[in-house]
Amino acid sequence: MLVIDINKCSGCRRCETHCSFYHSGKTGHSGARIKVEKIEILGIDFPVVCHQCQEHYCTKCPQKAISITDRGSIEVSPTLCDLCGACEILCPIGAIEIYNEIPHVCDLCGGSPRCVEACEMGAISFEPDVKQSVSLEGFRQKTKKMSPAKKRHAYALEAGETLRNEWSVNNRRE
Amino acid sequence: MVHGYGGHILRVDLSSGKILREKTDPGHMLATIGGRGLNSRRLYDELDRDVDPLSPENLLLIGVGPLTGSLLSTSAYMTISGKSPLTGILGDSAAGGFFGPEIKMAGYDQLIFTGRSDTLSYVYIHDDHVEIRDAAHLAGKDIFQTTAMIRKELDDNNVQIAAIGPAGENLVRYAIVACNNSRVCGRTGMGCLFGSKSLKAVVVKGTGMVSLAQPLKFMELCKKLDQRILDHPEFHDRHELGSTLLIKALNGLGILPVNHFQQGTAPYVDQISGQALARKYKTKNKGCFNCNINCSRYYVTRQVESEGPEYETLCSFSSRIGSQDLEFALKMNQYLNRMGLDSLSCGETIGWAMECVEKGIFDKNDFDGLEFTWGNTHTIEQVVGMIIRGEGIGKEFSMGTRYLADKMGKGSQKYALHVKGLDVICGDPRGIKAFGLTYAIASRGADHLRAEPFFELTNRFEEAEKRFGTRQAADRLSDKGKAALVEYTERQALLTDCMTMCKNVGLSMDVMDFELGADLLRAGTGLKFTADKVNQSLRKTIDNDRRMNIDFGITAEADTLPHRFTHEPLSEGPSRDQVVPIHDMVRQYYEIKGWDRNGVPLKP
Repeated sequence: MLVIDINKCSGCRRCETHCSFYHSGKTGHSGARIKVEKIEILGIDFPVVCHQCQEHYCTKCPQKAISITDRGSIEVSPTLCDLCGACEILCPIGAIEIYNEIPHVCDLCGGSPRCVEACEMGAISFEPDVKQSVSLEGFRQKTKKMSPAKKRHAYALEAGETLRNEWSVNNRRE
Repeated sequence: MVHGYGGHILRVDLSSGKILREKTDPGHMLATIGGRGLNSRRLYDELDRDVDPLSPENLLLIGVGPLTGSLLSTSAYMTISGKSPLTGILGDSAAGGFFGPEIKMAGYDQLIFTGRSDTLSYVYIHDDHVEIRDAAHLAGKDIFQTTAMIRKELDDNNVQIAAIGPAGENLVRYAIVACNNSRVCGRTGMGCLFGSKSLKAVVVKGTGMVSLAQPLKFMELCKKLDQRILDHPEFHDRHELGSTLLIKALNGLGILPVNHFQQGTAPYVDQISGQALARKYKTKNKGCFNCNINCSRYYVTRQVESEGPEYETLCSFSSRIGSQDLEFALKMNQYLNRMGLDSLSCGETIGWAMECVEKGIFDKNDFDGLEFTWGNTHTIEQVVGMIIRGEGIGKEFSMGTRYLADKMGKGSQKYALHVKGLDVICGDPRGIKAFGLTYAIASRGADHLRAEPFFELTNRFEEAEKRFGTRQAADRLSDKGKAALVEYTERQALLTDCMTMCKNVGLSMDVMDFELGADLLRAGTGLKFTADKVNQSLRKTIDNDRRMNIDFGITAEADTLPHRFTHEPLSEGPSRDQVVPIHDMVRQYYEIKGWDRNGVPLKP
C-alpha cells in the first residue's frame, strides 16, 4: 500500500499531477487517483489515496465490477461497471471517484507508483508487502452520506489533529 | 485544437453584469505566449491611457500561460495586471499557489474584468458557468475569513479563491490580492484595483485537464529541467529556508537594508535570519503547485501561525525599520496577509517616517502623536491599523510613500525610496549594481523581479564572458557588462512570467533558457515556437510596455534611483564606499535595447 507521512507533505500536488499525467497524458486534480486535501488555515496538507482497507467496502459493488489484485490494489472492470456510483458512496475516505465516466482509484501504476517518484518531500512511500492492514471501520460512521470530496476533507482533518498537537507542544513552549 | 492553453478568454463587465466567453486565438498566443505577456498586450491594445486607475474604465486582467497547471515544475503562477493605482503606470503582480492552475483547468487563459459593481460582489467561475454573486456579507472581512466564508457558502472546500481584505476595500493604494491565504500578488496595488471595482474575490473551480501536444517529449523536457533544479548548488538552502536565506546572505554582502538603508549590515542578523526562523518556528515545508523545491514554510509562534514569510516581508518588518524582533515580523506577516497590505510598500512608508523623525524633519506631532523611533513595534502596529482603516495620518500613509512625502514636504522627498512611485525592495543596490539598473528601468517601478540579475552574485566569471562579453558582469560591485546582463535577464524574467513559472526557479536559479523554453512551449502547445520567435515576442512586449509607460507620462528622467543610492556611499561593511553610477548604466541599457537617448523605442 501507499503510506503517507502527513508531517512531510508540503501540499504541492506534485503527486496528483504526475498521477494524472501517467494515467491520461494530461494534468488536473480531477483526473488524479491521489488527491491532496489542503486545509490552509490549519497548515494541513494530506494526500488521500486508497488505503487498501481491511474492510474493502468498495467491493460491495452491485455489479461486482470491483476486485482486489495480488498487489492489494483495487481493480475496476470497465465492462461490468455501469457507473452507478455505489463505490463512491461505499468508500469512507473518498478514495474512489467517477470522472469522465471512469471510476478513478489508485492502481499503484502497475507496481511503480509515479506519485512516490514525484514527491520530493518523501511524504509518500510504497510498501508492497503491506496489504489490507488499515481499518476504516471506526471512521466510516463519520462520513456517511458525504460526497467524496467532503469525505477526503473530513479524513484530512482527523489525520491533521495529531500533527497539530505536536506543533503546539514543540513550538509554543519557550 | 490548441494544446496547453485553456482555450477561452473570459470577459466580465461588473457594471452591466454582461459575461462574454471568447475563443483564444492561437496566432495571438504565438505573439504574446501568455501570462504577463498576454496581459501586457491586452493593456496595450485596449486600455485608454488617460483613465483614472480607480475608474470603472480601468482593466483588471488575470492571465495564465500555456503551461500553467501542466507537468512543468513550478508552473503555478498567474499575473494580475492593470493601470496601477499606486504608480499610475503599468501595474502587475504575480503569485503562485493554486489559483493560476485552477483557472487553466476551468478552461481559461485570461480573465478580463471591467466596470464597477454597484455593491460588493464576487465572481464565481465553475468551468463554463460564470456568475456574479453578492458579497455584501463579506464587507470588512479579512482574507482568511473571506476564503473560509466563500468555501462554506459554496459548500466546496476545494474552490480556489483570490481575495482582497479590508485594505483593498478601503482603497489603500498598495493593497494586495491573496490566494490560498498566503500566496500574494503584492506589488503595484492590484488589491486596490479589485476594491475600486467592488470586487471582493474571484473564485474558481476547474474540473478540466491540461492537455499537451507531445506529452512524452514534454515529459522528457520536464525531467531535464527537474534535474537542473535538483543539481543546483542552492537547491538545499532554498528548500530549507526559501527566500529568507537572503537575510544572512545579503548581510554578508553588506547590502541588507538596516534602518531604512542607512547601513548595510545588522549586528543582530542572527536574531532575524531565515535560519533562526527555521530553527525556532518552522513546522514544515509548504509548496506551490507542482513544485519540487517547496521553499515556503509553515510556522507557529506563541501568537500566530501562518505560511511564509518571504524575505521581502521579513526584512521590511525587521532590519529595514530597525526591529530585531523576529516574532513581531512573523506576526505582521500574518496580519498583513489577512488584511491585504503589501509589506514592502507599507514597510517603506514606516521606514521613511522613522528616518524623517531621526533627521528631525518631523516629530510625533506631525504623525498623530505616534513615536516613529527605530523598531518601535507599538507604533508600527498602530499605524498599520490606521492605514488599513484609513484613519488620521493612516489615510496619507495609505497613498504610498511618494504621495506622502510630496504632501508632507520639508525635503522629506529625498528620503522616500521609490522609483516611479513604487517603493524600493529590500536589497541595497549600492552593492549589487545590476539590481540598481533593474530598479531604475523596470516597467513597474523599483522592483527586482522584472530582471532579477541574480547572476551577478554567482561568481560565474567564465559564463559572464561568454554571455555578456565581460567577466565583470559577474562582479557585483562593477557596473561593466551590467546593461547586457539586465537586458538578458529581463527577457528571461518575462519568459518565466509568460510560462507562469516561479521566478525564483526559472530566473534566480538560472535554469530556464530560451532554447529550453521554446522546446517546452512547442512540445506543450504544438504551435511553432522557436527560440528566435520567443525572443522576438519578449522584445516586443518589453518595447510595448515601454511605449505604454511613455503614454502614461514616463520619461528618461524617471529611469533613475533615489538620491541615497547614487550619492551617499555606505559607510560600513563589505559594500562600503559604493554608489551606483546609474546615469551611464541606463544609457548603455537604452543602447542595447535599441531605444533612443530619451528611452523611446525606435519603430520596428
